Amino acid sequence: MAMSKGTSHYNRQVWEDSEFPILCETCLGDNPYLRMMKDKFGSECKICQRPFTTFRWCPGQKMRYKKTEICQTCARAKNVCQTCLLDLVYGLPVQVRDSVLNVKQDMPKNDINREFYNQNLDKAVREADASETWGPYKAQPPSDVLAKLARNSPYYKRNRAHICSFWVKGECKRGEECPYRHEKPTDPDDPLSDQNIKDRYYGSNDPVAEKMLKRIADMPRPIPPEDKSITTVYVGNIGENITEKQLKDHFYQFGEIRSINIVQKQNCAFITYTTRQGAEAAISKSFQKLVINGQKLVIRWGKSQAKRGTVTQEERGVPLEPVPGLPPPDYFNLSAIPSLIQPIIPSTSSSTSGTGIHYPSQDPNRMGSFGLKLPSYNKN
Amino acid sequence: MAKIRRLRTTKPPPEGWDLIEGTLEEFENKMREAESDTHEGKRRVESIWPIFKIHHQKSRFIYDLYYKRKAISKELYEYCLNQKIADKALIAKWKKQGFENLCCLRCIQVKDTNFGTNCICRVPRDKLEEGKTVVECVHCGCRGCSG
Repeated sequence: MAMSKGTSHYNRQVWEDSEFPILCETCLGDNPYLRMMKDKFGSECKICQRPFTTFRWCPGQKMRYKKTEICQTCARAKNVCQTCLLDLVYGLPVQVRDSVLNVKQDMPKNDINREFYNQNLDKAVREADASETWGPYKAQPPSDVLAKLARNSPYYKRNRAHICSFWVKGECKRGEECPYRHEKPTDPDDPLSDQNIKDRYYGSNDPVAEKMLKRIADMPRPIPPEDKSITTVYVGNIGENITEKQLKDHFYQFGEIRSINIVQKQNCAFITYTTRQGAEAAISKSFQKLVINGQKLVIRWGKSQAKRGTVTQEERGVPLEPVPGLPPPDYFNLSAIPSLIQPIIPSTSSSTSGTGIHYPSQDPNRMGSFGLKLPSYNKN
Repeated sequence: MAKIRRLRTTKPPPEGWDLIEGTLEEFENKMREAESDTHEGKRRVESIWPIFKIHHQKSRFIYDLYYKRKAISKELYEYCLNQKIADKALIAKWKKQGFENLCCLRCIQVKDTNFGTNCICRVPRDKLEEGKTVVECVHCGCRGCSG
């Protein structure tokens, strides 16, 4: 650095010296007692090409040595691990996270512009609180889609030794002692085998991210029924100990509830809202994420009233007592006549004696009117 | 036959030199061979392993003759040390407990390592972590010289 510290030339490089690396859990390995080697200005950042302090460590037995690849400014700008360049919160590629959270960070690609940008960024990052995430990722609420895509536990397989290139050629003489893995490499035609660090960082055409985004697109989502009168939410897998109050406590926040109907035998409940908006809000907010009493509840749209009526009748299996004062079902034996659904009207003369008409009101010619499509009318 | 390299001295070697001369010449020949051996197909660290090995064997030969079998005189032993046929520093380590079989001096040079530790070959076999049973240290190719 030839320039004095006092000058504020925009393209003055800042050599980054740091005390501790920014790393994700996976990269650190399973051993909580870790020895690290620190190398001041050990290499250049693979994104901004400025010298930075590298750290090197072994993340556990049979793992390869890992080192930090990008500088802390670049890592904090995107809130990623300095080594694997995956998001620090979810462990997902930048492209996946940014597209789900709808965050856009335009970074200049041009040399001079990038240097100026880096200088400003460096200042902004340094002035920010080191204990929390920086910039656009700070105010983000936890995302359910990302949480679903993320791994539950660290994926230590990523730290394994690389595949022995000699073994692949059939030339490895070290046998058992070889510290590299003697395993078949992945297919070179596989798009996942062509990854690079800059694409991963900038979140553009990253094959891993593309695969994950495809998985998001394939995720099941509730399909609101066509019938707008349906305001019922089906809640399955409720368990035995659930109470109406617990359900109400969760579901009242989305809108006014008309009724809660727990069907203990079917292990499900139906929550009917007074408005459609309430039901829609309830389903979109709690679909595949509602947990009560430690049980994950299945949330679906209720079936239409007519359909559900028949289903419950069949599923119940127990014949109900007929309501006094009402005729028993099929009193008129209407279901035995197949033509009821679509009455076939043969002609005006035979209308009273025809089999298709059972009530006077069903006879279109009763009041002296003629159906346009009647064959006899057309004949006249 | 390569001649045993000796420092310039006017004095003739002490008594018993003829007895060990043959073996020492053999070591010398082996060393020449190892020095001129091709490095191709070897790892970078691997190429100097034979040098260390022969050096160790030669020192061990003198050490055994004097301390274990008591076959040579003190004068001859000291003559060998002065002529740098045997490694004085290495033999000094062999006299200490725990270093009886030390492979080379590089392996106990803790300042050369990142965390100030000894070489992996200095770790007793039963204390090694599991799955690390076969090791060759990078310094001299030793597979374990401590218990």
